[in-house]
Amino acid sequence: MLTTVAQAVVNGLLIGGIYALVSIGVTLIFGVVKIVNFAQGEFVMIGMYISYFLASSFGIDPLVSLIVVMPALFVIGVLLQHLLIRRVLALGDMPQIFLTFALSLLVVNVALLLFTANYRTVQAPYSETAIHLGAINLPVAKLIAFVVAMTLSAVLWVFLHATDLGKAMRAAAQNRDVAMLMGINPDRVFSVAVGVALALAGAAGALLMPFYPAYPLVGQVFVLMAFVAVVLGTLGNVTGALIASLMMGVAESLGIQFVGADSGLIVVFVMLLLTLALRPSGLFGGRSR
Amino acid sequence: MPEALVIRNISRRFGGLRAVQDLSFAVNEGETVALIGPNGAGKTTSFNLITGYYRPDAGSVFAFGREIVGLRPHEICAHGLARTFQVARPFGKMTVLANVMTGAFLRDRRMEIAREQARQAIDFVGLSAKEHTPARDLTTIDQRRLELARALATQPRLLLLDEVMAGLNPAEIDQAVALVGKLSQRGLTIVIVEHVMRAILAVARHIVVLDHGQKIAEGNPREVVANPDVIRAYLGTDYAQAASVGERQC
Amino acid sequence: MRRFTSRNTVWICLLFGAVLAVPLFVSNSFAIDICIRILLFAFIGVAWNLMGGYAKQLSLGHAAYFGLGAYTSTILLIRYGVSPWIGMLVGGIVAMLASLPIGALCFRLRGPYFAIATIATAQVLMLLFLKFRDFAWGAEGTTIPNLGDAPLMMQFEGKAPYYYIVLALLVIGLVVTYCIERSWIGYYLVAVGEDEDAAEAIGVDAQGIKRNIYLISAFLTALAGTFYVQYIYFIDPNTAFSFNVSVEAALVSIVGGIGTLWGPVVGTVFLEATSALLQSWLGGGHGGVQLTVYSLILIAVILIRPAGLIGIVTEFYARLVRSGAATAKEVRLDA
Repeated sequence: MLTTVAQAVVNGLLIGGIYALVSIGVTLIFGVVKIVNFAQGEFVMIGMYISYFLASSFGIDPLVSLIVVMPALFVIGVLLQHLLIRRVLALGDMPQIFLTFALSLLVVNVALLLFTANYRTVQAPYSETAIHLGAINLPVAKLIAFVVAMTLSAVLWVFLHATDLGKAMRAAAQNRDVAMLMGINPDRVFSVAVGVALALAGAAGALLMPFYPAYPLVGQVFVLMAFVAVVLGTLGNVTGALIASLMMGVAESLGIQFVGADSGLIVVFVMLLLTLALRPSGLFGGRSR
Repeated sequence: MPEALVIRNISRRFGGLRAVQDLSFAVNEGETVALIGPNGAGKTTSFNLITGYYRPDAGSVFAFGREIVGLRPHEICAHGLARTFQVARPFGKMTVLANVMTGAFLRDRRMEIAREQARQAIDFVGLSAKEHTPARDLTTIDQRRLELARALATQPRLLLLDEVMAGLNPAEIDQAVALVGKLSQRGLTIVIVEHVMRAILAVARHIVVLDHGQKIAEGNPREVVANPDVIRAYLGTDYAQAASVGERQC
Repeated sequence: MRRFTSRNTVWICLLFGAVLAVPLFVSNSFAIDICIRILLFAFIGVAWNLMGGYAKQLSLGHAAYFGLGAYTSTILLIRYGVSPWIGMLVGGIVAMLASLPIGALCFRLRGPYFAIATIATAQVLMLLFLKFRDFAWGAEGTTIPNLGDAPLMMQFEGKAPYYYIVLALLVIGLVVTYCIERSWIGYYLVAVGEDEDAAEAIGVDAQGIKRNIYLISAFLTALAGTFYVQYIYFIDPNTAFSFNVSVEAALVSIVGGIGTLWGPVVGTVFLEATSALLQSWLGGGHGGVQLTVYSLILIAVILIRPAGLIGIVTEFYARLVRSGAATAKEVRLDA
């Protein structure tokens, strides 16, 4: 019994790492640019497809493809901010929501047209292998994904706290106007924030390929998880998103183990509803009134 | 004179910051009281505590004899307290008239009555010519006028004005002071947060001074201006000492 | 919003007359079907617009109420033989009741997070109905028995009666919107949508307003759900709680003109017409084309004309009648 629970917790943590990459991206964009990126999941999907095509055309391992995927998505992020997001910043909540939402629709459906709904998978040499720690089973692919995810998160943390640009981002997140007065160029900061967020999403995609199929709608599952984690971890709080993502991974895993195979989504929603009901500002937020 | 507003030992912290500590003061009906203090003293927070946007951690607020802590802002408004915001918050999409009518609907839901009430308030603040202008097209000072008109349309008994004079030139300040004076003549109780000394001295008989969330002085303008604690809060210790020396020598 | 001057009234009557006459002149089944779809989604858009357009509560989960309406009337019909006319009203009430706890939870979040929460609730309902076969047929759904021509059971041989029913629904929706827009409720709604805190400061019970408009919006949306089942003779959780329904409800209002009376109608006509053209041009079978085009249109509208297409319509109309300066659709007219 204990082993089953432990295994479920481990599984949950491992996948939680992926959720963390996605949710950190969302919360980063929200914190800095103050806009909710409904399309975040779609960039995970793009990352997966890039990784897939590199693997099927050139035999490149998904892990190696990170080198291509992350910069590519960073560039896409900068372009996205520069061409689209920048134009709606002044328009208020509603157009912003619908812009990223429309973007999400667009990307999903273009992907449907280009790639069809078929699942694409990549078999890496380690896709099926696992390490055994006592009675606990650690699938290598997921373990690698977790380790890389945590490493990337740590790198991001260092970036945000130790570099000038990172601190500028945090400053802009806290108070855009004052940050501007301090000479921080909001455009640049926003571009980096979006670029980094999308790079993380793409990384999540590449890391998923060895053990998860790619298909146009794949992003939607992850983005839902991510959004709940962002709310749970308090909007704009990067560490909070990380912790909440791990929690959600574990909760989902326990749900699947003890409630039923398709209870994953239900667990997510229950967590969202509980958060809303009990602590709407998240685990790390203050009181609202 | 009956007390319109009684603040008793209210406190509020945000995380580690004690924004308001153990604040108490009272405002009599028909009086105009100024709430002053350096930036960050807790003046706007006090307004937010009084009008229900934040809940005090401790203490009570009585308005016209009724405890209002725990009531929602709209209930407090219905009870007779209206406020303006430091940065005007008009309903940009709506015209001036529509904005003020929205306030008037609190007392009477009929369109014609509300329209009439709104027009009176708009006339009072001098915005009649811009009745049909969308609020977002107004100048900042007109938006402040709108804010005031909208608050007046709710027929308050107590009006809380948050830095209405900020950034006004002397002529505009005089106009604003005149408006406040007229409101006071109508019997309205007014609590005004201000930095502009000229305006304060012109309208307020009684001043409450905050610093770091606490009340450090209270009294009539002359007393407050000479109070060394007040001087220290605004200008620093040296001036305070000089002031007390100066007083003795007079 | 246009004032109802006598000139306007004439135009509206003419328009209405033309709309009424459509089934008399159009006998092509496919064409009538498109018209019915347009009317239906315009109605759903109008229902959504009350909440999303005026009060700026952007729900992306209105399919929840669409589905609840559809399932309620179907369950009552199949299990208890209750006429869908009654079932429709009961469905509306069920939706209203559901909107209370959903609203209570979701309104704690603002802006985009509110939207996400509403998506979640629609998904939860879909999952529930997929899982529980006992009272609602699970994933396969069910067809409703074909009773031929049975007006009392909301079934008709031809398409024309369905056209008039959904037209009536749309008219009801527009009338409700019009009445609300012109009353103190309308002002309060816009105030809450613009700045909830400032609204509270002048005595607006923002929570109450949001709750009440949600009730109305949910009720109307549920009526559409019942109609849809009766029209296509089939229901299943994926159709009833479809995210596409939620999206289109919001989409038509935003494209057409959010927070305006005619916005949803304009938006629906434009989007459905585009969609129909595309379908006839490309033929069916291209899964993502329609939504791709919709999303491109949406992006274009947001970037170029965030107020929606209705501005174009109003300007065109004003030029047509030469009634002076075009009324900017967002300015509240309140003379």
